Amino acid sequence: MKQLRVNIRRVGLFICLLFALLALYGVYSLTNYGSRWFSTNANTWLRSAKKDVIPGDIYDVNGVLLAGSDVTETETGFTAVRRFNDDALIRRSLVHVLGDADGKVANGVETFMAHALYGFDQTIVERVRDFVSGARRKGDSLTLTVDSALSRYILECMEGMGVQAGAVVVMDWKTGAVLAELSCPTFDPSDPADSSGGTGDPYFNRATQGLYAPGSTFKTVTAAAVLSDPQLSSRSLTCTGSFAAEDQNGQLREITDAGTDHALGILVSHGQIDLRRAFRVSCNSAFASSAVQLTDAKLKKQAMAFGFDANFLFREIVVENSSYPEGARSPWDVAMTGIGQSTLQATPLHLCLIASAIANDGIMMEPRLLSRMTASDGSVRPAYGMRIERKVFEDPEIPALLREYMYDVVNEENGTGSQAALAGWRVCGKTGSAEVDGQEKTNALFIGFIDDERAPYAVSIVLENMGAGGEYAAPLAHDIFEYLIEHLQNAAPAL
Amino acid sequence: MKKKKKEKRSSASRLLSLAMLFYFLAFILLFLHDFDTRTLMLALVVPVLIFVSVRGLPKLFPADQLLLSLSSFLAALGVLVLYRLDPDRGMSHLINYMVAIAAMLVVTVGVRFIRRWRLLAWLAVPVSLGLLALPLLFGSEINGARNWVTLFGFGFQPSELVKLSLVVALAWLLSRKKLVLAVILTGACLGLLMLQKDLGTALLYFGMALFMMYASTGSPLILAGGAVGGAAGAYLGYRMFAHVKRRVAVWLNPWADRQGAGYQIVQGLIAIANGGLWGTGLRLGNPGVIPASFNDYIFTVICHEFGVIFGLSVLVIYLAVVFRGIAIARQADNAFHALLSLGCTVMLGLQTFVIVGGNIKLIPLTGVTLPLISYGGTSLVSSMCLVGIMQGVFAVNRARIREAREEALYEGEGAL
Repeated sequence: MKQLRVNIRRVGLFICLLFALLALYGVYSLTNYGSRWFSTNANTWLRSAKKDVIPGDIYDVNGVLLAGSDVTETETGFTAVRRFNDDALIRRSLVHVLGDADGKVANGVETFMAHALYGFDQTIVERVRDFVSGARRKGDSLTLTVDSALSRYILECMEGMGVQAGAVVVMDWKTGAVLAELSCPTFDPSDPADSSGGTGDPYFNRATQGLYAPGSTFKTVTAAAVLSDPQLSSRSLTCTGSFAAEDQNGQLREITDAGTDHALGILVSHGQIDLRRAFRVSCNSAFASSAVQLTDAKLKKQAMAFGFDANFLFREIVVENSSYPEGARSPWDVAMTGIGQSTLQATPLHLCLIASAIANDGIMMEPRLLSRMTASDGSVRPAYGMRIERKVFEDPEIPALLREYMYDVVNEENGTGSQAALAGWRVCGKTGSAEVDGQEKTNALFIGFIDDERAPYAVSIVLENMGAGGEYAAPLAHDIFEYLIEHLQNAAPAL
Repeated sequence: MKKKKKEKRSSASRLLSLAMLFYFLAFILLFLHDFDTRTLMLALVVPVLIFVSVRGLPKLFPADQLLLSLSSFLAALGVLVLYRLDPDRGMSHLINYMVAIAAMLVVTVGVRFIRRWRLLAWLAVPVSLGLLALPLLFGSEINGARNWVTLFGFGFQPSELVKLSLVVALAWLLSRKKLVLAVILTGACLGLLMLQKDLGTALLYFGMALFMMYASTGSPLILAGGAVGGAAGAYLGYRMFAHVKRRVAVWLNPWADRQGAGYQIVQGLIAIANGGLWGTGLRLGNPGVIPASFNDYIFTVICHEFGVIFGLSVLVIYLAVVFRGIAIARQADNAFHALLSLGCTVMLGLQTFVIVGGNIKLIPLTGVTLPLISYGGTSLVSSMCLVGIMQGVFAVNRARIREAREEALYEGEGAL
């Protein structure tokens, strides 16, 4: 009987555990995913609640109105229609950030922050006050961290270059504030029928949802892994112009060097080469062999430290998760991963976070989009604070070394990113030219930053089917950095 | 000693008046919306019903007041939420509730006074199996499971009633150390449920039987064997039934098909998110978009309109029921009564876990009801009867303790 009582208590404790699991999981999933569930366009309740509230206005960081509302009285009440900025270029450059009311653009501010825009954050006092005074309810107005003039400028540049599809993200690497986030092709929200040029879906936000092979920009990650490995970091490498490894069928396959001169039809070898020089000239065979020597596990560990395979749950911005290739892999697969090919996938925004983390001594800040929330009576609501997303390096020496490497890429002789250089400023970067199956030319990529606390800007550029990163993406980075420096004097702090 | 008792009672009565006030105000709120006299009537009837069942019933026989209050609160919550969703169903839940109270009384008195369980327990075995076989003979299929029977124009779910007969049979068999027979009986019941494709209920029976067997033997081998058997059964169910496969796929990613198969889970999650911590407010949400809001998804409706904090409190109430059940089981002086109370407790606790876990996407959704709250007469009656069994064991314990005390008193006098 005594034993029975003990057993009964154990069963009781087990049921307690089950209930604790319910409560913990419920609270966990609601706090982490609640705002995402709320803002999906499947939320009929939100749709119907919108009819009673005038949405709040949306401003850029300098107070430029991006989206207001035209309210027309009707017999039964009113209808509020979004009125966007007068400048078509601004509208088109920011449409993916703002999103549209129909939710065709997934997870724009218009849908993801519907909570604030449609007054769900109002306190009971405010609701009662509006009810008593009979005032139309108006949601909170949002001031974003994005700069509409900068976005407009970047779109002009991209269209000037004839970019068909691609994405650009500009961030403040110290705070995580997103200053610009563009996706091409784009469309005009005031005239949705006019989806301007380009190939592909204009509603798709390539900056946050587009998954791209990072190409040679991933060599920053491979280099970081090599530098963290005491045995490998001191070893010198030999480049014979190509590197061969076994694929899953046991066949030897070659990785040739992107740095070779195809016009001459011969393999140019870099000979004896150290990691720093290999990084500057983006030597594929050196990085491929480094990746194999590192082993898949160590490379994966470093990539995960940078946020690959992480579940990004940022509070103000919805970003697709980046992924490191899975499963048992052949040496050839690992070698390809080391140079950013294989099945590696990352969003342009994540690539910008990687650049930012290197600039910020290994501290990756959470990307932010919301600068200020203002209630309809003008009072400022407490907004989210800055938050560290992850610490990529324990040892600050490695990001410092990476910065030197990336400085060389832009500023040293035969560095691949020399076109990004900006006189008087320490521009650091890494180019990438990612091969995509079924595409004639490579995707041109560039990630980089200004290594200066006075101008803490980071950028990532992905231009689909353009060619070499150093040739197309690096000059665009130069233009963006130049613009930012020119306007440094009157730049308002975003956060 | 006496003072302590008084304190206990006063806190219980404060709780009771709070519960009554809650329902009074809730129905008044609904009345301000629809100006239906029926609503106004309920504002009085429901609190009175709670008062009568918490204060009146213990006059008839010794009953656990806390258990009574908790179960009344939950059943009344069912009346409130169902009335808000659909007044007719609310009214019929109220009537079911009264029937269920009567059934509970019968069960309580039965457990208290029946001395010879042998015959009853053996009778429970064919009754359980027979009832479970009914839907296979005259059943109709609802939501992929064939577990509903209509006899003489009266529809009911046999698997709900079998909970009672099975708990009696298992408690008796296990208290007589007839483990093998208990395993065979459970296996037969589970097999019949599998044939009906009612895997949710099968899971509940399985959990109840497993924990009763573990408690009576104390052998970790039972748990290990149960875990292996359960995993094998789950795998078999997954392979055999298309609707189980579908449910697992939908559980893993409901958003993939949010307009189709995943619609219910997605809308449920959205509804919880819409409610947030404090809820949209009674009558201010739109629970109508959630499929099966009357039974399977009633917990989500509660979270939607009353808020997550209230939802958590409801879970705490269920947990308190479990605590009382465990305490009653531990007070019993024989294995049969202890296992009886334990079985009922496990059944109520597991059932709550399974359906709430399904609602919040912790586990795949199975179509079981939320005890006492969900719409459905059979379910409400069987849940109240489970509580009734616990009450009956409580009454037995109380009588025994009182006897012992009187005896001690008598002996003390004799010594003088």
